[in-house]
Amino acid sequence: MRIIVHNAKCQGHARCWAQAPDIFKLDDDGYILPGDIQVAEGEQLLASQGARSCPERALEVDRTSAARFEPAAMQPRTGEA
Amino acid sequence: MAINPVPDHVPPEMVRDFSLFTSPGMPPTPNGDPHAAVACAHDGPPIFYSPYNTQDGRGTWVITRAADQRKVLQDTETFSSHRSIFSSILGETWPTIPLELDPPAHGAFRSLLSPLLSPKRVTALEPAVRERAIALIDRITASATSCDVMKDFAFPFTVSIFLRFLGLPDQGLDTFVGWAKDLLHGDDVERPVAARKIVAFIDELATNRRKNPVDDLMTFIVQAQIEGRQLTDGEIRGIGVLVFVAGLDTVAAAIGFDLAYLARNLKDQELLRSEPDRILLATEELLRAYPPIQLIRVATKDIDFEGAPIRKGDYVSCATMIANRDPEEFESPNTVDLAREHNRHAAFGYGPHRCLGSHLARREIVIGLEEWLARIPTFRIKEGTAPITCGGHVFGIENLILDWS
Repeated sequence: MRIIVHNAKCQGHARCWAQAPDIFKLDDDGYILPGDIQVAEGEQLLASQGARSCPERALEVDRTSAARFEPAAMQPRTGEA
Repeated sequence: MAINPVPDHVPPEMVRDFSLFTSPGMPPTPNGDPHAAVACAHDGPPIFYSPYNTQDGRGTWVITRAADQRKVLQDTETFSSHRSIFSSILGETWPTIPLELDPPAHGAFRSLLSPLLSPKRVTALEPAVRERAIALIDRITASATSCDVMKDFAFPFTVSIFLRFLGLPDQGLDTFVGWAKDLLHGDDVERPVAARKIVAFIDELATNRRKNPVDDLMTFIVQAQIEGRQLTDGEIRGIGVLVFVAGLDTVAAAIGFDLAYLARNLKDQELLRSEPDRILLATEELLRAYPPIQLIRVATKDIDFEGAPIRKGDYVSCATMIANRDPEEFESPNTVDLAREHNRHAAFGYGPHRCLGSHLARREIVIGLEEWLARIPTFRIKEGTAPITCGGHVFGIENLILDWS
C-alpha cells in the first residue's frame, strides 16, 4: 500500500501527522514533505487513518497490490501554501 | 430583520430569511445555542442568498455544504479573500495579512509566519501553556467553588499565551480583551473606536520594536525580509492587526462553549474526567460542534457555482458552524459524539488560508480541558444564572457561571 501525496492541496492542517508522525513527515512550516509514501506492513491501518483525516483531501490511499514505490519528483511547494 | 435590496441577478426563490446576525438565536440570548440554531440552514437549498449577513449589513451567498465550502475556499482565483473586513470599519481598504491577500502575494507572507506557529513550535510552547492553565485554575479553586469561566479562565488563559507570543505584557490583557469585544460585538460607534485603538497600538509597537528590538513577534516582523526587501509600514500593520485580533477572542469563545456543553452533559463530563486520554479526540468533536467563525470571500468574476448565479463582487459566506452540521459530511451532525472518528471538520477553514493559529488553538483547548477537568470536580451551570450566547461574525458566550459546590 502507498499514500499518494497531492502536495499542492496540502494546507498544513497536520492532521495526518497528528495520527501518525512517523509515517507523515512535515517540513518546518508544518506542511507534508513531497513524495508518495510507501507504507510498511503493519502500519497500513494507521496510514489509512492518517490519510482519511485530511480536511483538504490531499492524501490518497493506493491499495493496488501492484503499486510499486516510485519516488515522486521532488518539487517545492507552490507559492500558495 | 433588516432587508437590503437583493441584487437583480439573484433569483427570488434563492433568497432566504436567514442571517448569522439577526436570525433567531443570533442576537444575545440567555441559554442560547447559536450553533444548533444555524443548523436550520440545511433544511433548504444547499446554496441560498441572505440579504443581511455581514457585520456591516451586506447580503451574501450562503454555502451550506462542507464539500462546496471546500471548493470555494480552495479556489482563491474565483473567490478572493481581499475584502478589507477590518479596515472597512475605518472606511479604508488595506488588507490584513496574510488573510486578506490572495495567492501568489499571499504565499511569501504565509511562509514567513508559518514556522512561528508550526506543529513543532507549538509542541515546544506546551509546557508554558500548561503552566498558565494550572496557575489560573489553582487561583480559582483556592478561594471559590464557582466562577465566571470567561472572565476568570478562558480569556486570561488564551489571551495571556497570545500576548506572550506577541511579546506584550499581561497587564494589558483587560484592555485588549475590551477592544476585541467592542470590535467583534460592538455597535457602529464602538467598532471604529476599537479599530482605531488597535491600529494605533500596533503602529506604535512596530515603531518601538524597530528602535529597541527584543525577542518577540513584532520585532521579527519589522526585521523580516520577503523577496529581498523589508516589509512596508502597511504590511507590518496588516500582519500585526490580524495576529492581534485573531488571537483575542476565538479560542476563548471555543473553550467557553466547550465547558458550557460539558456543564450541561454530565455523562460526557465524567467520561472525559475519568478517561482523560479521550480529550484529544473529544476536542475535535467540540471544534466541529462549536466553531466560532464565518469566512467571507468575494467573487472575482461571474460564475455559476453549483446552481447559484454568483456575480463578480458578490460576497460568499462559508460559515464553519454550518459546514460542520452538514448531514452529507457528518452522520447525525446535530449530535455531539465525543468519540466521533474521521472528523474532518471545517473549524479552521480550508484552502491556503487555513487558520495559521490552528495548531496553537488546538493545544490550548486540549490543555485547557485537561487541566480544568483534572482540577475541578463535577461542575454545572450555576443555579439561577444563564450564560448569554450570540451569533455574528464571531460567535460568543458570556456570563458562563460554573458551580462545583
